[in-house]
Amino acid sequence: MKNKRALFAVPYVGWMALFVVAPIVMVVIYAFSTADGGFTLENFLDMGTYASVFTRSFWLALLATVICLLIGYPAAYMISKEGPRFQRIAMMLIMLPMWMNFLLRTYSWMSILENTGLLNRLFAAIGVFDLVNRVTGSNIAYFTMINTQGAVVLGMVYNYLPFMILPIYSVIEKMDNSLVEAARDLGAGPARVFRKVILPLSLPGVLSGVTMVFVPSVSTFAISRLLGGGTQMMLGDLIEQQFLGGAYNPHLGAAIALVMMVIVVACMVVMNHFGEGEEQAVML
Amino acid sequence: MKKQSRVGNRLLVGLMFLFLYLPILLLIVFSFNAGDSSAVWRGFSLHWYSELFQNRLIMESLYMTLLVSLLATAISTVAGTFAAIGLYSLSKRKRDALLVVNDIPMMNADIVTGVSLCLFFVAFFQGWGGFARWMNSVQGVFELPARLTLGFGTLLLAHVAFNIPYVILNVAPRLRQMDKNLVDAAQDLGCTWMQAFWRVILPEIKPGIVSGALIAFTMSVDDFIISYFTAGSSTSTLAMTIYGMTKRRITPEINAVSTLLFLTVLALLVTVNIREARQERRAASQEPRKLTWLERLAVRTSTPGWRWAKRGAGAAMGCAFVAAVVFLTGATSARPVVNVCSWGEYIDTSLITQFEEETGIRVNYQTVESNETLYSLLKSGGADYDVVVPSDYMIAKLIEEDMLEKLDYGNIPNFSLIDERFKHLSYDPENAYTVPYTWGTLGIIYNANAVEEEITSWSALYDSQYAGQVLLINNSRDALGAALLYLGYSVNTTDEDEIREAYEVIADANRRGVFQGKVMDEVFQKMEGGNAVIATYYAGDYLSMVENQADGVDLAFVIPEEGSNWFVDAMCVLKDAPHKKEAEMWINFIASTEANLANMDYIWYASPNREALEQYPAYYEETYGESLDQAAYEIMAAPPEVLGRCEVYENLPRETQQLYSRLWVELGR
Repeated sequence: MKNKRALFAVPYVGWMALFVVAPIVMVVIYAFSTADGGFTLENFLDMGTYASVFTRSFWLALLATVICLLIGYPAAYMISKEGPRFQRIAMMLIMLPMWMNFLLRTYSWMSILENTGLLNRLFAAIGVFDLVNRVTGSNIAYFTMINTQGAVVLGMVYNYLPFMILPIYSVIEKMDNSLVEAARDLGAGPARVFRKVILPLSLPGVLSGVTMVFVPSVSTFAISRLLGGGTQMMLGDLIEQQFLGGAYNPHLGAAIALVMMVIVVACMVVMNHFGEGEEQAVML
Repeated sequence: MKKQSRVGNRLLVGLMFLFLYLPILLLIVFSFNAGDSSAVWRGFSLHWYSELFQNRLIMESLYMTLLVSLLATAISTVAGTFAAIGLYSLSKRKRDALLVVNDIPMMNADIVTGVSLCLFFVAFFQGWGGFARWMNSVQGVFELPARLTLGFGTLLLAHVAFNIPYVILNVAPRLRQMDKNLVDAAQDLGCTWMQAFWRVILPEIKPGIVSGALIAFTMSVDDFIISYFTAGSSTSTLAMTIYGMTKRRITPEINAVSTLLFLTVLALLVTVNIREARQERRAASQEPRKLTWLERLAVRTSTPGWRWAKRGAGAAMGCAFVAAVVFLTGATSARPVVNVCSWGEYIDTSLITQFEEETGIRVNYQTVESNETLYSLLKSGGADYDVVVPSDYMIAKLIEEDMLEKLDYGNIPNFSLIDERFKHLSYDPENAYTVPYTWGTLGIIYNANAVEEEITSWSALYDSQYAGQVLLINNSRDALGAALLYLGYSVNTTDEDEIREAYEVIADANRRGVFQGKVMDEVFQKMEGGNAVIATYYAGDYLSMVENQADGVDLAFVIPEEGSNWFVDAMCVLKDAPHKKEAEMWINFIASTEANLANMDYIWYASPNREALEQYPAYYEETYGESLDQAAYEIMAAPPEVLGRCEVYENLPRETQQLYSRLWVELGR
């Protein structure tokens, strides 16, 4: 009987071979070949040229992830301490923005951050620039906010914050409150309770939140294009440019994608390992 | 004390929600704007909502988004559920190994998934092409299509591929919680396997299936990156349409459609929440629950006779759904079509409707950003265009690589109306492939109110005094061309040192922070709104910008003293285009004098049609009741002495092209 049900897995294994494994094999083949089909390592040897793009991408994505964590963790924690009605509404409100296309939401930030955008006009209206100019003796009419790294990080935080809050919230919400009470009864102060009980227990949520923010951040190309104005090139832009953009070279594009994939997977393996260690520590 | 910190907490959570919702609120507010800006409020109006239903591009992509998302959700929910059941009947070791593979699409960056699927599909198409040609040559019973392209099919497959893991992820925990003995018990009691599935397994895992389906649907609707790489050129989801628009200007119709979608989902969620809350309250008070009308109906219809009726109704609905899908896809494919690809804002759109009405041929009109992007699209196999409108040097390259089809000029009588000056040009000396569409010049556009002195030289683009105010044109040929001219070299030089020197000029300015950004069609919105001072762009587009410039902005156009580039964009048909006949009808229609006049008036690019060029000033006077400004006319159609100072781009040798691409990518570092 059992084997009969296992047959259901067969079509899916075939499907995965075709639509998950085979495409990745294609990327590997492209990365190691030239336009004429010969084997080459040149695509990887060229990679040093783009070291700065790699560092920028990883740095900005890391920054965005840390900020998301700093905002998302307290938010998830506070929400989980509220009543069930508040929690339900809050979760709904966090999911809801995903129904407004992310490009559109990002574009909306553009009109806020532009030199003649809403924020600068607001500042001008309340006299911020007059004040600044009087104090520093400068002559500015706006703050440059668009097309900077800050704007790109803002776009990432804005778009991916829900992905940080949701997993952390679902872990904290399920947490056994009696553990916290037990710790308190045994004389731990609030800081110690948080450090020794709440934080380790919520770690799996944090880890999946970090992955869910970091991976799309490091590979984005739309956000950096809209809010970075094409001057803050990221790995996503570099790859897109090789496939559908202004410098057609799918072999190089595949090589960059492959390297990015390997680095990201390595990061995640290390992180998960670290996470598992923590969990065991808790159990002990 | 306790109370206070609670208020503080709520305040912080409230601030976070403000951050999340401020841009959304802004989008909603501006969907009611009477003007077309997304920053300046001009009064309340529902104008964009009525406009929305007239906008074919948006309505079609909305329909495409919903169709793909619904189909992909349905398929992946069913497939994912069965796959999960199958996986959970395997031994733990096998299951864990397979689950790792299952997680790949979720863990991978979207761009990697998109790119890998794109490469896979294209490789498959190539293999299939060879197979189909071989099959067609050895047998004559049936004809296999030899040319497959990315489109609706690949888009759907890609969506199913990234949705299934989410379904499995949601169903799996339910299966894990389920008591395995339940199924055995049911079967011991005489259930067939099917019955056990429907009556035991399904009810147990239903919440998992529902949440899996919901997440899959949300992911599908919100997805942009994977669709972008797998949908090809002729299929466009809402997200792709929006991406295309962000490059130029988002029309408020998009705000309107998004607002409608958003409010629908909001209403749905609120209803569900209210219902759940009510149920919970009732459960808490342990009041006997009153049946809702739906449940009363369900009880009444659970008698055997009704059950058959229900099955019948279910089957009929299923058939109706399939029929509707088949009909809709059939309805769109049965009509003759022509797939046209051009640049953004490069046609009077009423011409498309006019052509459709006259001939009954549906025009699938797409735009791309630059010649280089077009080339990438064609090469990566994503494009199934019939007609393209590249510039001179790109035409030469496409001819050289045997990517264009020779035209049958017998079907294009209007070719005789093209001025002799624009025939037999260097990119197509025999004039066997092309019919010119427009011509014009490249120059500097600047805001005269924001510069101290008149700009006359390319050096302004690299001048530190305009730091943060210059927009670099986002294609290698024009950007490096300007730098070459600035250094006094030819735009067609193949000397590596000269090209590297030009690159250094740009790279150095980039390091000094002169450039605000790299733009193509984003230039309109930036220059019109006064968000940048200097840009390199095309003469015709300058004239459109002047029409839309904001208060306090005074745009000027100059062809620098070092000279510039003048270009011809021409219509060509791609090799093996499936709709060659329709393509030639379109080309002939566009080459007519009336179409050229309409186009000239709309896009402000000069026409190669002799009559249209001569008649335009009179046409303008007749249409607007005032005479055409001679200076504007000369910017549009540059007189011979200006053209004399300009060079045409020639197709560069392969090594030089590679150098251009490499330098261009390096600039982004």
